[in-house]
Amino acid sequence: MTVQYSCLVVEDSPMMRQLLVLALSRLKSLQITEADDGVDGLRKLAAGKFDIILTDINMPIMDGLKLVKRVRSDPAHKDVPIIVITTEGSSEDRQRALQLGANAYITKPIQAPQVIAKVRELLRIDA
Amino acid sequence: MTGLTEQLVADYKRLCDRVADVEAENAALKTQLAGDRAIAHLLQKIGELERDKARLISTVQEQAQMTNRFVEIESELESFANLYVASFQLHSSLRVRTVVRHIRELLVQLVGVRSLGIYVIDDSARHLVPIAADGVDVSALRMIPIRDGGVCDGVEALVERTFSTGMLHVAEGETIGRPAACIPLALEDRAIGAIVVYALLEHKKRFVTVDRELFKLLGAHAAGALVSAHLWGQADGHVPSAEALREMCA
Repeated sequence: MTVQYSCLVVEDSPMMRQLLVLALSRLKSLQITEADDGVDGLRKLAAGKFDIILTDINMPIMDGLKLVKRVRSDPAHKDVPIIVITTEGSSEDRQRALQLGANAYITKPIQAPQVIAKVRELLRIDA
Repeated sequence: MTGLTEQLVADYKRLCDRVADVEAENAALKTQLAGDRAIAHLLQKIGELERDKARLISTVQEQAQMTNRFVEIESELESFANLYVASFQLHSSLRVRTVVRHIRELLVQLVGVRSLGIYVIDDSARHLVPIAADGVDVSALRMIPIRDGGVCDGVEALVERTFSTGMLHVAEGETIGRPAACIPLALEDRAIGAIVVYALLEHKKRFVTVDRELFKLLGAHAAGALVSAHLWGQADGHVPSAEALREMCA
């Protein structure tokens, strides 16, 4: 039986979210849950168990950096791998996210193979 | 009698020597034969190895071709995914503000545009009027007069030409010059505006095939999405009656 992993995608832009989900859906072992922003992400984290989180940084209500901080301070999710999605030129945000406990980052515009490779690497899924 | 015996002994010794010679010769021949067999065996082995080598080279070439094809398919898949998402998002809303946001996001997130302006024609004044922008303040954008071939500055001339001809302009090679692209917005068979891409993100040095496809998609669908959203807003969300639609279908 194939091992199933659950993935939380936190992104306020419907377009980017759709692109990410489309890319990740190529990994058959991944079940994807979508969230509109950091607060929605935390709500969904509280309601379920996730093996990996992908989050945008610039979001309304609660941004990705706050989300990373909140996830890392929660004993239930402190070890869940987090990939942050940043825009070019926001190296400070990237560094801050990594300092707060994010495991990796992807720069926009995103490319599906890059997203898949990063998720595979962090979940240790064989190609 | 003695002479005969000596003769026999001498013959015997000569025959013994002869036997020894023949045996030595036989041994030498056997060694040579074994050597020849070894060489023949080695030659056969070399032949087999050569065939294996040719097979391996062919397999490596096939694998290289498959890898190239895989990369091509991956790239095509990426392009289709981008075009699918662009098309889906462009028509996913009937609010003008959201449609404009989606157009901006498509260009910023999928293409890597740093600054852009969206212009719509004001038919009475014969001006292209900036209605939205990204990476640049919309109030800083000037209206572009449509002078039908009149003299105006480089950017305005290019936008005017794009609008008038309905031909997409995409800068070839490195996009140092401004604008990097100009997309005519078509509604049915007439242009109602243009999107001007002023500059790209630092890492985006040139346009790729899928960017041009996205520009074509925007050129063909963005105006329709904008006008539909506007009309929907004016109609206050009222859906046309079935009877009205049936009459229009006839």
